[in-house]
Amino acid sequence: MLASPAVSTLRKVLIVEDSGATRELLRSALETIEVVEVHMAVSGFDALKVLPRHRFELIITDINMPDINGLELINFVKKNPHYRDTPLFVVTTEGREQDRDRGLQLGANEYVVKPFDPARISELVRRYLKL
Amino acid sequence: MAAPRALTEFIAEANEILEVLGRELLVLEEAGASDPDPDRLNAVFRAAHSLKGLASMFGLETIARLAHRAEDLLDALRLGKTPLNQQLVDALSQTIDVLQIMLGEASRGEDSAESREQAEILGAELQRVALGTPGDAIDVLDQVGIDPQVRAVFTEFEEHRLRENVKKGVGLWKVRAVFSLDDFDTRLSQLNGRLKPLGEVISTLPSSQPGDDSSIAFDLIFGSARPEAEVEASLTEGAVLSPLTSQPLAALPPPPPPPAPKRRVPAWDDVSSGTGSAFAPGPFPSAPSTVMRIAPAPVETSLRSLTNTVRVDIGRLDGLMNSIGELLLIRSNIERIAEAARQVAGPSLPKLWGQELQREARALERRLDELQKGVLDVRMVPLGQVFDKLARLMRRLVRESGKDVMFEVSGGDVELDKLIVEELSDPLMHLLRNALDHGAERPEERLKQGKAGRATIGLFARQQGNHVIIEVRDDGAGLDEARIREVAVDRGIVTREQTEEMERRDLLNLVFQAGFSTRRDVSELSGRGVGLDVVKTNLQRLSGLIDITSRRHEGTTFTLTLPLTLAIIRALMVAVSGRTYAIPLNAVLEIVSVKTGELRTIERREVIEVRGQTMPFIRLARVFGLPEEQRAMHYVVIVGLAQQRLGLAIDELIGQQDIVTKPLSGRLRDIPGVSGATELGDRRAVLVLDIGALMEELLRPQASLEPRTAG
Amino acid sequence: MSSQFAALLDRFFYRPDEAVGPFLESAPESDRGAEAVPDETPEEFLAFVLDTETYAVPIGAVREILKVTVVTEIPRAKKNLIGLINVRGEMLPLYDVKMRLRLADTAPVVRASKDVGRAARVLLLKDLEGDAGILVDRVEGVVKLQLSRLEEAPELGIDRNAIAGLGRRDHQLYILLDVEQALS
Repeated sequence: MLASPAVSTLRKVLIVEDSGATRELLRSALETIEVVEVHMAVSGFDALKVLPRHRFELIITDINMPDINGLELINFVKKNPHYRDTPLFVVTTEGREQDRDRGLQLGANEYVVKPFDPARISELVRRYLKL
Repeated sequence: MAAPRALTEFIAEANEILEVLGRELLVLEEAGASDPDPDRLNAVFRAAHSLKGLASMFGLETIARLAHRAEDLLDALRLGKTPLNQQLVDALSQTIDVLQIMLGEASRGEDSAESREQAEILGAELQRVALGTPGDAIDVLDQVGIDPQVRAVFTEFEEHRLRENVKKGVGLWKVRAVFSLDDFDTRLSQLNGRLKPLGEVISTLPSSQPGDDSSIAFDLIFGSARPEAEVEASLTEGAVLSPLTSQPLAALPPPPPPPAPKRRVPAWDDVSSGTGSAFAPGPFPSAPSTVMRIAPAPVETSLRSLTNTVRVDIGRLDGLMNSIGELLLIRSNIERIAEAARQVAGPSLPKLWGQELQREARALERRLDELQKGVLDVRMVPLGQVFDKLARLMRRLVRESGKDVMFEVSGGDVELDKLIVEELSDPLMHLLRNALDHGAERPEERLKQGKAGRATIGLFARQQGNHVIIEVRDDGAGLDEARIREVAVDRGIVTREQTEEMERRDLLNLVFQAGFSTRRDVSELSGRGVGLDVVKTNLQRLSGLIDITSRRHEGTTFTLTLPLTLAIIRALMVAVSGRTYAIPLNAVLEIVSVKTGELRTIERREVIEVRGQTMPFIRLARVFGLPEEQRAMHYVVIVGLAQQRLGLAIDELIGQQDIVTKPLSGRLRDIPGVSGATELGDRRAVLVLDIGALMEELLRPQASLEPRTAG
Repeated sequence: MSSQFAALLDRFFYRPDEAVGPFLESAPESDRGAEAVPDETPEEFLAFVLDTETYAVPIGAVREILKVTVVTEIPRAKKNLIGLINVRGEMLPLYDVKMRLRLADTAPVVRASKDVGRAARVLLLKDLEGDAGILVDRVEGVVKLQLSRLEEAPELGIDRNAIAGLGRRDHQLYILLDVEQALS
């Protein structure tokens, strides 16, 4: 596994977000980290298609999306033996306590409420990728 | 903090969200209060929700706050906590308007106190409307016995829908479907399409159980009053039905009779064709029976509208167009080489080589044509984008006017170049407003004329060849010719003698003359003249025409004719004093040649007669201050817009050509009589003449005075 | 040394063009003897010749240097507008600045490359109101000038509005052109 931060391979991160503007913000936040390779999915379905194709080391997802919602995606990822060890962040507008509890219960590793600070996102990503 | 690219993206996205909100709201309002489509309610909620999130990301607090209020209200609405009524629709409709204004400000980096205040007031109003009855005290879901694992991933809305289905007493099913990873989304939407007529798909859950690498399983939670066999029969291949509940539903209160199956209905644009929807005050709680309801569109459209549209920056498209132009040049170069090689006509080799090149050039041309068409297609957007906004605005204006008016719309699906569509909303609004303010009479007045009490205003579009025709029609008072004549003479636009020779149609068209009307005329002359010259100028800028027909007491119709696209036009290439110019072919009526001896003068202005019609003869070289050649014969390009005619004398006809018109940049915007430039094969820029502007300039009364001496 | 400038200049050139004249030396010691502000980095300017005078504009304001090809005249345009040029599909105005600078009474009539000298070039300048070209007699090269040492243009009865200041390097005088003013 990629235990050492010195490893030069790119670290793949998947962003699942239906809003193009938010995707751009997340992407620019992540691209401040050199070794990160950003992949993007525009919906839950899109994410389901992309997931098996790459070995993602981190997933960032929105909750309120068309087709399947983010909670369903977390459930899918965290119950699936292929993906369940992949860290998953929720970045969402749903800021209520019960929403957060739900996300974390389903297995999300971090729960960030919008508006987010791009610096905080990249810091979290660094931490989980052990950079 | 936001990158500029993200900000542009935000403005575009937010605008799109508002468009969706406006459209969906209109459909909800048309459908009336009874049993609104849950998917539609959820779509509207999602739109407000996304906007809130976006705006807060970009630090636009006022927009975020107002969107948040709207979201709360829509949340209450979709969760059945507050009823759908006129008050709610009005408040939301105003909210959309204010949000649009604020968004416009944000895109210019502004933030006005006025809109902030409006947002504040509206926010309070939304909050007031949202105060509804609290939800159920006892959760029926607890009694049904659904796997808590399944419930854990339900959103609040999905839980609400599940609850509604339980309350209705319908059967709850789990449909497990295994699909290939490649096409599961299309397969799912097929399955959804078959299930939807039988009930409600409450949730679609991807199964976490790993299948093989190439497939994925889904559980659809489905509520239906139909018998198991019927549901079973509707399933597509690979789907398996099983009951969801562990307890029989018979334990619950007896179910009401099963609801009528939902009608399959055509999309919004189709539905509105040829039918009207009344804007009479208060369509709620149920729409009047004389008016056809606009039924909800299939759910796919409403869900897709937020994500499945492609937004393309027009700047990028222009770049693409440029590279196509470049490719076209390469093509003609290859062709020239080929021709040259063939001319050399050595024994056999060069000739073969030439043929080869020629074949290549043809292939390249074919590809280029495809590419060009493709790019043009991307530029095309449905007129519905503007029509929806106009319909919303008209609805409000009608209500405010207190008149009884039916507003009809059709042809929202007709597509036009994006640039044209965006420029159309102002002129169309102007015409619609005039129709409402001054065309449509009050019911008493109409009944006296023997007309139906309710007036009709229509906005219709259709495609005709390479043009789109848009009509703004009313069945109101019509224009008063006598008054038009008087005013035009008064204002010195025409002489009394001239008006006597004018045909009725020309007379009506005087209302488009600058300076025709002043505010004072509003009441006297149905106010038709106000700003109509501006409307006309705007349309001319789009290479469009406007014409008017009207009958006293029967109504008025404005007909707008627009080219499908501004990007590529067919042009007539002409030479004047050795310079080449392009004249858009849509303005060219015919080309004639006249001998110098056939020229006549009227008040020292040269005129020609073509088929009995006398028109000004304008030497383009003279207008442009170029050296003129003495010649015995002139080519004359007869150009016309609406009912005006003009003969432009040129030296040489070069031919017709499809050209890509490039706008002239900032500093060159105000060159008179020139609308843009295009490039010819030799990289030379060729000016494209703005026939509308030239005619305006050359037919102006002042222009006729210029060569005239006193007396 | 000069290859570094060549690289810098290179991105302003439209490929098919030949290179412009020799690049000016800009060794640090050439500043000796002057009261330079400590640690000031000299700014780079593009120097060019109009008539007999040498002018300069900040290099950041130059988008591209082009050879004169075909120019399309625009009827009824302002006198200082020579015409329209086609820069890879973009239609841009070409202006004369000599009139404004009182170096000429009329704008030249330029339709093709044969109407100008062999060394003449179009400087495509970036401008808020829209990019625009100016016709120059010759491009000299890049020169480094210290902003703190620029002089104001003297009262000579000329229109000083179009001149942002004067720069000096060794014995050469550089007249800094105020692009916005010169084009208006």
